[in-house]
Amino acid sequence: MAQDPLQQTYDAIVVGSGATGGWAAKRLSEAGLKVALLEAGRAVTGREFTEHMPSFQLKYRNHSPEVMRTRPIQRQCYACMEYNYEWFVNDLENPYSTPPDRPFTWQRLRILGGRSLVWGRQSYRLSDVDFKAASRDGYDVDWPFSYSDLAPFYDIVENYVGISGAPEKNEMLPDGQFLPPMKMSCGEIRLRDSVKKTFGRTVTIGRTAIVTQPHNGRAPCHYCGPCERGCMTYSYFSSPFTTVKDALKTGNCTLITDAIVSHVDMDVSANKARGVTFVNRTTKETKHVRGKTVVLCAQALESTRILLNSSTQEYPKGLGNSSGLLGHYLMDHVVGGSASATFEDMQASPSANPPHRPNGIYLVRFRNTPAEGKHPHFIRGYGFQGGSMPDFNMDAAGIGADYKKAVKRGVYGVSLGAFGESLANLDNFCEIDPNLKDAWGIPALRISMAHGKNEAALMRDAAITGAEMLEAAGAKDIRLTTGTEMPGMAIHEVGTARMGNDPKKSVLDPFCRSHDVSNLLVTDGSGFVSSACQNPTLTMMAITVRACDHLVERFKRNEV
Amino acid sequence: MDFPVQVTQASSAHSQAHQTSLSRRDLIRAALLSAAASVLGPSFSLAQAIESGLTPAARGEDGAAYLTDPHWKAAFLNDHQNETLIALSDVIIPATDTSGAKAALVNRYLDLLISVQPSEFQQEFLAALKFIDSESQAQLGKEFLELSLEDQTWLLKPWAYTQQSSHWTERNDPHAQPADLAQQHFHRLKTLIAAAYYGSEIGQKELGWDGEFTHGPYEGCEHSDATHS
Ligand SMILES: Cc1cc2nc3c(=O)[nH]c(=O)nc-3n(C[C@H](O)[C@H](O)[C@H](O)COP(=O)(O)OP(=O)(O)OC[C@H]3O[C@@H](n4cnc5c(N)ncnc54)[C@H](O)[C@@H]3O)c2cc1C
Ligand code: SF4
Repeated sequence: MAQDPLQQTYDAIVVGSGATGGWAAKRLSEAGLKVALLEAGRAVTGREFTEHMPSFQLKYRNHSPEVMRTRPIQRQCYACMEYNYEWFVNDLENPYSTPPDRPFTWQRLRILGGRSLVWGRQSYRLSDVDFKAASRDGYDVDWPFSYSDLAPFYDIVENYVGISGAPEKNEMLPDGQFLPPMKMSCGEIRLRDSVKKTFGRTVTIGRTAIVTQPHNGRAPCHYCGPCERGCMTYSYFSSPFTTVKDALKTGNCTLITDAIVSHVDMDVSANKARGVTFVNRTTKETKHVRGKTVVLCAQALESTRILLNSSTQEYPKGLGNSSGLLGHYLMDHVVGGSASATFEDMQASPSANPPHRPNGIYLVRFRNTPAEGKHPHFIRGYGFQGGSMPDFNMDAAGIGADYKKAVKRGVYGVSLGAFGESLANLDNFCEIDPNLKDAWGIPALRISMAHGKNEAALMRDAAITGAEMLEAAGAKDIRLTTGTEMPGMAIHEVGTARMGNDPKKSVLDPFCRSHDVSNLLVTDGSGFVSSACQNPTLTMMAITVRACDHLVERFKRNEV
Repeated sequence: MDFPVQVTQASSAHSQAHQTSLSRRDLIRAALLSAAASVLGPSFSLAQAIESGLTPAARGEDGAAYLTDPHWKAAFLNDHQNETLIALSDVIIPATDTSGAKAALVNRYLDLLISVQPSEFQQEFLAALKFIDSESQAQLGKEFLELSLEDQTWLLKPWAYTQQSSHWTERNDPHAQPADLAQQHFHRLKTLIAAAYYGSEIGQKELGWDGEFTHGPYEGCEHSDATHS
């Protein structure tokens, strides 16, 4: 073993190895910087993947009492299962609080790769309708950059990650660098054609971070289906087997796992970060790492928790919080509006065999667009994710041989579920709970968020328009949901350290740098100014690459 | 250490050619994994991962073995409840040209499942099971287990279909909706039994699963006309 990794001074310390941290480590180490990548969880290997293990080999077939006991919150996430629950945090060791009337479900992984191991992989660009939304409808503020500033970084990320999808030339959802799209089912094609003809709206195959042809040494998807349990061919994008692997290959990156960062250490006289302090997950020892810059990529709420826990005399309300806005403007997409139905005239003949397409369809936002104009009841909009596939009909009536036959005859279902924009709101925030610590003695968060009237109107409208579109496509037995699910449910939390040009009205500058502390960056979703309605991770990764390239330029100019 | 890949296990029922393709895939997989391990270095050792906590599934444990254990004993149900559940499940999902609920050990899985549920769930389940017996007594003068198969079917069938309001009384009271407790009890049991059956290996095969995880890419709609029928 070479030098003790804790005795060196790194050019950059990256905290978190998930979707964004992996990119930061890759980009900075490939540019020649010496990087320490700190990850709170353990390492992961492909050998623990279980995507080819049938559920009847699980003792409780996904109703394990161990999951119920140790992951009462995590199991609200569909991806937290008897197969993989150890990837998710143990809720007993990782508490947070909420006001009783403002519940928030916080679903997170602490393992190399973070949530990129289980994410749904849907990847959509934002457009200037999102970046400049405030200019159009007067609510809140615009982002401090435009689509054209970010587009080259979307290209870089997509070309490397591998996004399969189809171009649509729709101004709400810019096209990107796509691998060949996955195919649509009969029901989906019928819906797509009907929606276009009747309403002029766009249905496209989901744009997903899964490679459909050999790509950067990864094999194409073999359509087994349950990606959230891992992928032995690394066909979907997860950071340990792509960005983190590349970073380590440079020889410039030192990975330190089981390192739970508690706070950023400051050089008070220089007003600069000089490293971070972490607690070893297994031994609970406290250690320090030194660095010329600190890049937080621990995911929005965790990065902000680290900053709030890094208060000094100069920054009593949290490091980099001279604006007082750190922790505020927490957002998560609103979900809960949906419509489903059956195509009774289409022969179902479901199959228990693969191929199982690990992807759905996407119905592009059509409310409050430049083309359509203002909606009378709400601002912003929503997109639908959904699909139409034949399925077995366990709900069939009857008993005996007739029932067995009816189950196999199946139903051809179709469904649309909305993801709506969550408005940036000062009153949705996180702070440190003075009475709560995690199992490592690190003060925990108190999260206070509720969806408002606009979000409720979006979901109500989504149920109505969803039903109208299914009806027009000839589907029968239409069923709706119109409510708003509790915040956190979409697992798209962003905000809490918004970017902006004005240090009084924002926490980070347009390159994710703290306005207050020039060598401190936060490049995960914390900096989002608005949530838009597209799944956020592609944008987080593009923002990370942009911020890292900017940091490298500053290193080259000796500004750090 | 590796988990037993299910395809290998199920392949005994399949052709030789089939098995060869499986082992080839396993080889590819092994190669991929060793490549990953070497690039990622010693910090990726599996030993460390195991120490830090893997789920039983990720360790490769076959949880289904619990159900076929020759010394199996019920964790929650008493003998009468267990026997009643076996009989009931086999009327709802009988052996036809394929195996039924009894062979799929639906009772054993449900016993395990219910043993770890909150007590409210347990009580509802027991109440439903008890209801079957009391209704059997009331209508046929015997416990469910003592009925002939024909009578068991006769008892259950009316609860297995959606009920509508009566043509005769609807006119008089359009809001009369008899809260059908019997159907609620029956539906609860049927839903659990169906989930336990179709979730079993036998049930998966009944649905046509061939034990494979790969059949090439999804080809989607191949119709040339717009009706898709
Ligand atoms: C089931 C599911 C489905 C999803 N589907 C989609 C989707 O379809 N499309 C989409 O765009 N997004 C999706 N998401 C969201 C997506 O996973 C996240 O947006 C993305 O992973 C965020 O990247 P990140 O780097 O900020 O955080 P993460 O990927 O969560 O990684 C954070 C890392 O930081 C580490 N960490 C945290 N705290 C500390 C600390 N104090 N010290 C050291 N390390 C720390 C964690 O252990 C973790 O490894 C989904 C998420 C889930 C759970
Ligand atoms: S469906 Fe495709 S991407 Fe998902 S685990 Fe299977 S092979 Fe991998």
